[in-house]
Amino acid sequence: MFKKPAHETISQRMKLIFSDQDERIIEHSPAPVEQILFEVGINPLEVIVSRNGNLISEDTVVGSEDAIRIIRIAHGG
Amino acid sequence: MYQRQSGHHLCETHFIEDIQRRVANTIKTRRMIVPEDRVAVALSGGKDSTALLLLLWQLLPTGQDIRLIAITIDEGISGYRDDTIRSAEQLTSRLGIEHHCISFTDLFGDTLDTFLKGRETQACSICGILRKKALVIAAQRAGATKLATGHNLDDEAQSVLMNVFRGDLPRLCRNSGVDSSGKFIPRIKPLSLISEKEIAVYLMLQNEWNELPECPYTRYALRREIRALLSGFEYKHPGTMLHLIESKKKIERYCAGSVLPASLGSCTMCGDPCSGDLCQVCLLRQTFGH
Repeated sequence: MFKKPAHETISQRMKLIFSDQDERIIEHSPAPVEQILFEVGINPLEVIVSRNGNLISEDTVVGSEDAIRIIRIAHGG
Repeated sequence: MYQRQSGHHLCETHFIEDIQRRVANTIKTRRMIVPEDRVAVALSGGKDSTALLLLLWQLLPTGQDIRLIAITIDEGISGYRDDTIRSAEQLTSRLGIEHHCISFTDLFGDTLDTFLKGRETQACSICGILRKKALVIAAQRAGATKLATGHNLDDEAQSVLMNVFRGDLPRLCRNSGVDSSGKFIPRIKPLSLISEKEIAVYLMLQNEWNELPECPYTRYALRREIRALLSGFEYKHPGTMLHLIESKKKIERYCAGSVLPASLGSCTMCGDPCSGDLCQVCLLRQTFGH
């Protein structure tokens, strides 16, 4: 589904921060948020994502030393 | 922000304006709110009802004597409801909106936690029945002419699929329009065409997003499984949720008058409108031995 452009092959460290404050460091070349979520098994429709405190859209490319916060949209009124 | 259904990228201002325009359009085309209405918003303090109250507060025209009030139901769910009630109180206080809170203990004699001991797997069905009744009572006490709930596109599509999976044709055929034939306070769902994710983004952009706990009983809910299933389909096949809603409307039209009784009767115990001899609340009371 996602094809990596040829120039994006250098792996970089990226920090994923989840709603339960769990953190995970991954090695990944720069890629759209949607691809990162897909690879860690998260449906992009079920979360919102911010980088350094700013909301970002699913097609934003993230990479080097970025801290990505993944906020689960909780259900239940 | 990327808007999946249109394929557009919108800046913060235009994203908010787009949500406001679509909600206003839903209200207008379905004649959900008319001059001199007193609209009770079912405000749990969670994301959907928070967004609903905020949007109605932003959108309702002044000078037409339309009043907004908020009603909150405290079911008595330990470790969950206190946080959302606090959030609801802070929001209504900030917006200057009249707020009424009513509890299951006041209305039914005990907390939901107590009612559910040994019946946890039926949590959402039991809570749903009691909460609907509590909302109606609270809305009546507040003198409301409309009861607005924060059901979003995902909720509505999930309900259609759940009713299909259960083979529950009467519920599938139930008219989702505003008309109540004078039997009860009409319910309106102004967010029914806005996705859950759009609501979350809207709140985030309005600085009104609160990360609140999830109801501890959702782990028992069929809806949770349907939600994951449907959200997977929506991701792979955008438009799935809207197609489900459109199917329901078609089924409603095809089944009009043939599945549901033409007019509602009254519960033989409490007198509330219902389709059988007893309403669902009185059936539950019998089960609980109350």
